[in-house]
Amino acid sequence: MANVSETGMLDPRIFEDLQRKIDDDAETRDQLRAILQTIERQGRQTQSILSRAHSTPAAHLQPVLAAAEASIKEQVESIGKLSEIASKGPYYKYNGLWTRDVQNVIFAILLCGWLGGLAMEGEGEGKAAEAGKLLTIEEVGQILNVPVNLKDRDAFHITIEEYLQSLITLIEELARLAINSVTLGDYQRPLQISQFVKDVHAGFQILNLKNDSLRRRSDSIKYNVKKIEDVVYDLSLRNLVPRP
Amino acid sequence: MGEPSDDRPSPDSNLNGAKSNSKPGFKRKYENGPRDDKAKKPRRDVEASSSPFMPMFENFRDELDEHHDRRERVIKASRDITAASKKIIFALQRVRKLNSEIPESIAGEVLGRSKGMKAQFDTIAPDLTGLNAWRYQRQISGGIQEYMEAVSFEHYLRNQRLIPLEESSRLLPETIPLTGDDYVLGIFDLVGELMRFAITTIATTGSLPSSSPSETDENTVGSRDVLQDLRSLRASFQALDTTSCGGTGLGKDVEKKMEVMKACVEKVETAVYGLIVRGRERPKGWVPDLLDDRAPVTVESY
Repeated sequence: MANVSETGMLDPRIFEDLQRKIDDDAETRDQLRAILQTIERQGRQTQSILSRAHSTPAAHLQPVLAAAEASIKEQVESIGKLSEIASKGPYYKYNGLWTRDVQNVIFAILLCGWLGGLAMEGEGEGKAAEAGKLLTIEEVGQILNVPVNLKDRDAFHITIEEYLQSLITLIEELARLAINSVTLGDYQRPLQISQFVKDVHAGFQILNLKNDSLRRRSDSIKYNVKKIEDVVYDLSLRNLVPRP
Repeated sequence: MGEPSDDRPSPDSNLNGAKSNSKPGFKRKYENGPRDDKAKKPRRDVEASSSPFMPMFENFRDELDEHHDRRERVIKASRDITAASKKIIFALQRVRKLNSEIPESIAGEVLGRSKGMKAQFDTIAPDLTGLNAWRYQRQISGGIQEYMEAVSFEHYLRNQRLIPLEESSRLLPETIPLTGDDYVLGIFDLVGELMRFAITTIATTGSLPSSSPSETDENTVGSRDVLQDLRSLRASFQALDTTSCGGTGLGKDVEKKMEVMKACVEKVETAVYGLIVRGRERPKGWVPDLLDDRAPVTVESY
């Protein structure tokens, strides 16, 4: 048979080349997976630290934020390594491998930023930044030290879709925080969350989403908006917050 | 209803209103009055203007719109390319002779369709450059695989050889990469076409298509028949190790197509077996004759 194929229909090099392509591909994937495993573990660590925000009054949040910032810093380093390996191949070829982990990192940054951590340059580092702010995709890129929304070249970056996905996760988390703030006796924060989430929701409403995962998840925002509104309603009904 | 701007475009009154309805990326202007804003819109705009994140989301919206438009163009082109490729394959299935020029009438149709297909590829080339080459891979992949099938089939009929990857991308614009995956999957489908070609030729001419001996001295190709080629393809496919890409698309597709491919080769093997067993009794070029056919014939080995 081997003889036939040498003189016959197909050049054996064709399939040798194909095999090489497949093997190279597998190797790149293995490299990416190795680094992603680290990012995933660090991500869990960061989430666990940020979770303490649900049981910590806003006034005592500083140590939590400091710990979260340190943990995020570690992730930034890993993302740098990921970016290095990922930029060797076409971005969208392997994007599916890391997008979930990258979304988690972005979410951690957004949440930490919202809680008042991760003061951007110019705001005076070390001092607690104001809570309730939304880090833009550019600021997230700056923190992660990677480009965002690249169009002119093929390299690792953060996409708009990833940022929006993380933003939806942030809304879900804030809905939970609204309830837990009340438990902590903080009746102001739900109002702040309510306004913030409504503003973000209004933003999502002007997007023309197709029937993709982003649309399906953004459909859930309204339930979270309602959940938070219910908290505000409960509080105002009992005169626990000043009437607007 | 009573609005004249609905169907009769008068440039000054209607332009902004009509555009803002059909093109979401277009900035709304209120100079012409908000009368085109139907019931629900004003509420949303009040809410929208109060949100500090609006400029950011407007930017996102424009970007996402661009992305969806590109994606849709690619899907549409991919579908058209698939259709054209299928028609080329149909035309080529009318060819009966292997390793020779394709008859003019068929070649003409193939050329026409190829040109159309090339035009399709050219129109989406800008959507598939640089970073976006892989972004819409899943959308264009189907079209490229079908294209691969048509091109490799034509190449086989002409040269009785498997077209190499580099050569198969000649119709594709330079910016559109032909991936190894699409190439392999296209060749898998080629096996099916070769099966149909072999079976039809056996049924109509009573012999398995093979390179005609007269042409063997011009070409380096020895005298081979389709079945030999199918078997060497099958052997190569079986040697291909795709276990490493089990999770990705290729692994799954290969598994499915491998079974179909094996079945195709077996069909031809069975047909050739029938040809040998029953063909023994009749000379080449034998045409069924009603009288002869009725005569009871027993197969020797029975």
